[in-house]
Amino acid sequence: MSAALHVDNVSIAFGGLKAVSDFSLTLREGTLHGLIGPNGAGKTTVFNLLTGVYQADHGTISLGSQRMNGLKPNQIARAGMVRTFQNIRLFGDLTVLDNVRIACWSRTTTNTLAALFRTPAHMAEEAAIAERARELLDIFDLLPREREQAKNLPYGAQRRLEIARALAMDPKVLLLDEPAAGMNPQEKIALRGLIRKVREQFGLSVLLIEHDMGLVMDICERITVLDHGEVIADGEPSAVQRNPKVIEAYLGAPNEED
Amino acid sequence: MATLAERAKSLRPSASKMALDSVGPVVLAIGLTLLLHFVVGPAVGHSGTKILLDMGINIVLAVSLNMVNGFTGQFSIGHAGFMAIGGYTAGIVTYYGGYKLFGTTNPTGGFLGAGQWLFALSCIAGAVTSGFFGYLVGLPSLRLKGDYLALVTLGFGEIVCVLLTQSGAVVPASGIDAVPAWQLPYHVGGAVGFSPLPFYTNLFWVYLFVCITVLFAYRLKESNHGRALLSIREDEIAAEASGIAVTPIKVRAFAFSAAFAGVAGGLYFHLLGALPKPGELGFQKSFEIIIMVVLGGMGSVSGTILAAIVLTILPEVLREFSDYRMVVYALALVLMMLVRPQGLFGIREIWELGRERRKKARGSR
Repeated sequence: MSAALHVDNVSIAFGGLKAVSDFSLTLREGTLHGLIGPNGAGKTTVFNLLTGVYQADHGTISLGSQRMNGLKPNQIARAGMVRTFQNIRLFGDLTVLDNVRIACWSRTTTNTLAALFRTPAHMAEEAAIAERARELLDIFDLLPREREQAKNLPYGAQRRLEIARALAMDPKVLLLDEPAAGMNPQEKIALRGLIRKVREQFGLSVLLIEHDMGLVMDICERITVLDHGEVIADGEPSAVQRNPKVIEAYLGAPNEED
Repeated sequence: MATLAERAKSLRPSASKMALDSVGPVVLAIGLTLLLHFVVGPAVGHSGTKILLDMGINIVLAVSLNMVNGFTGQFSIGHAGFMAIGGYTAGIVTYYGGYKLFGTTNPTGGFLGAGQWLFALSCIAGAVTSGFFGYLVGLPSLRLKGDYLALVTLGFGEIVCVLLTQSGAVVPASGIDAVPAWQLPYHVGGAVGFSPLPFYTNLFWVYLFVCITVLFAYRLKESNHGRALLSIREDEIAAEASGIAVTPIKVRAFAFSAAFAGVAGGLYFHLLGALPKPGELGFQKSFEIIIMVVLGGMGSVSGTILAAIVLTILPEVLREFSDYRMVVYALALVLMMLVRPQGLFGIREIWELGRERRKKARGSR
């Protein structure tokens, strides 16, 4: 199996603080890969590095055969690596439909002049965007609310909308930053099915940050564990679960005197 | 799933829809402008016409500023500076250019005569120059956010005013031949203003440009390019993560906005009773335009039009209290920020608001 995403020895320091050091990860094509670790381990920093929000001090990031280092976030998104955010970032005042339509922008070909004169090509493209956006909304059960403002959606629906928006860009790699945070148990169960379903349907490779261990262990085929900015374990869920370093990171070291 | 291009092939709009989209606005614009020029204008008399002209120019200014402050969410407070650049460019074209072409600096030709076409051309020249400056200013400054961008645009507006104040006196018609052509753009009147410019501005041209501006803004907003602007206003980081090249798009919106401000400048400078002085186009003018946008709704085209209309008529109605106008404006703004910070209509158009209310009413029943 080839690698959808290959990260090699990536580091970043903020002043004297080494937020992430020598982080390496191989996301195999079509896998669901979990990235876990205690709070402040640097998981979101890794996402920011991958998506170009931060530039790595050293190390390389390759999406397929393409180098991602030095690219801007919008270029990385267009290249096929798209993310969602831990603290939901929707276009709140815009409608649910618009949120998804906006993400289609980078895939469109007609220019502003065509939009002003409403050329047939432009209007056809607009119709195509709307059709595709509605299909995505339908998958995420958001179609009945397409005209509502995104900020008025319930929390779980906002999370789903964020994933729908990410998928509108036709990504190869999807980075999900705590998609289940704030969801109730029923929503979490539905989310599991949804993540699996979109992975099959869109041929995605997914990198998932999540604190809900039940969810991670259930759906991920591979897990990387991060602590203090360093990878302490990498492997299959069952192996990672038994790894003493991981147990130590989460529960603390056993007392020497005991 | 099928790609966008594949989908688009099967979704070509019908011929009748296309015809309506392309011919409709043209017919409507020509009908409106001719109606205003030949029926409404004579009916409301001289002072009424003046108010209508001011109103039209304010609509162009407010709707154009809305593209930056409303759609894109970048707070610019130097719009009058772009208006000045466009106005002076247009003035140079009609005054000096008019002399070179027609041998006189007075208005030439009747309705749609040669002079009028030169005037229309001068407004377009103003738009191009102003748009170019908008691009230049936007390139470095749109990397800044919020207050910092506001300060840069404020500074830009003031610099334009100061530079124009330093220009040379207007060359009278009798002396134009003696001055080399390349020096003429320097002689635009200094602090006393660029006069006497030929008074070409009439209802036809003003409202033609109003139609173009409004159509531009509305169609932009309704297209995927406009939605890209709106997404920047909503959340820049998410926009960038959704594949939108934020900085280039911001700069482009800024240039569009500046270009239409340039048109408004051209219209304003050739208006009987207007004061084409640098001092008239300073911060206060920018502020007046901002108030229209904020009041009408950041991002609402119809809202800004309504606000521009109301804020043009109001001072005329309250003429006795004209000294207190800015006080009333400021109070209105404070009140607005407290009660409805998103403006009267927010991001919505007037008709969308009605639809929402009906939907809500139906839902509650």
